[in-house]
Amino acid sequence: MKRELLLFCLAPAFFLAASADDGMHNHDGHLHQKLVDGENLEVDPERYKKFLSGLSDSQVAVVSVKGMVCDFCARGIEKTFVKDKTVKKIDVDLSQGKVLIAYEMDRKIDFEEIKAKIVMNGQNATAMKVLKI
Amino acid sequence: MGIFKIFLVLFISFSLEARPISYSGGSTLMAFSDNIKDSLYYHYSPTYKYSIGIEAINNKYFEKDFSYLRFTYLLNRKNTDISQRNLYFQSGINPDQFSENFIGMHGDWETRRWFAGFGYKSVQNNIKDYSDQYIQVGFAPYLGEYGDLHTWVMLKSKKNSLLGGNSTYPVLKFFKGNFLIEFGYNDKTEWDTHIMYRF
Repeated sequence: MKRELLLFCLAPAFFLAASADDGMHNHDGHLHQKLVDGENLEVDPERYKKFLSGLSDSQVAVVSVKGMVCDFCARGIEKTFVKDKTVKKIDVDLSQGKVLIAYEMDRKIDFEEIKAKIVMNGQNATAMKVLKI
Repeated sequence: MGIFKIFLVLFISFSLEARPISYSGGSTLMAFSDNIKDSLYYHYSPTYKYSIGIEAINNKYFEKDFSYLRFTYLLNRKNTDISQRNLYFQSGINPDQFSENFIGMHGDWETRRWFAGFGYKSVQNNIKDYSDQYIQVGFAPYLGEYGDLHTWVMLKSKKNSLLGGNSTYPVLKFFKGNFLIEFGYNDKTEWDTHIMYRF
């Protein structure tokens, strides 16, 4: 029974500790003091350059996503977006928490629609910036 | 068992299954083997909130083969920039004998580097009721990119009321793409093996 009581005490701490992550986080050595917003989308330049290769007359939605912690999350997001025939290419950057989606140029990009698709997969999209190429 | 005790047991105790629900429209096939059972479990997730499935079990302790129709529901999820925390309700019922069933809870918290999880299952059957619980913590020694081979080094402690006592042992988990394999060993409970394929 002592062990059960100890675990009972630890279980809420486990979830509280998990909730305490908001507001400050780090990725591989650099610290963010605030959540990423639409004007501060961080994209790995090398990764972005590689993503753009072979693309033209497109627009790229760079989406910040919360809760993307493993390949299963990434795979789900990828599968959701490739169903859209106007999506030319997609890349999931787990380390930066970013999803890059290349759309056809004449496609209207609706952040609400993207958010809904990400939520369907169990994650949360928090910001988006569209870049024309 | 009083309501408080049921509540207590559900929240302090611990089942196995990394990611018991897939993404919307996703299917998962799992094979699991330990000293108590061998099982093959398929589940489908109409949404990321729940999954339905069927599990075929060979219970080694009771020397019995049977199946469960299973339902898992995501009670709570917290996404942050670097983590995800989940709490699931799990249940199963033997379609041939409704008196054989289980309920349980499963929780996990994960970043790309750290993992902690717990599970509890209370099982009713026609021979002897029992509970199965575990807690597991681990870390990834390196951070792979999407599509790379991912490796986790973990420590697991489990207890089954049929056997009594705790068993604590190291577990290694590898996954790449849609495929995951996890195995652990100790001299008391021997091998734990868990293979998962998501599609």
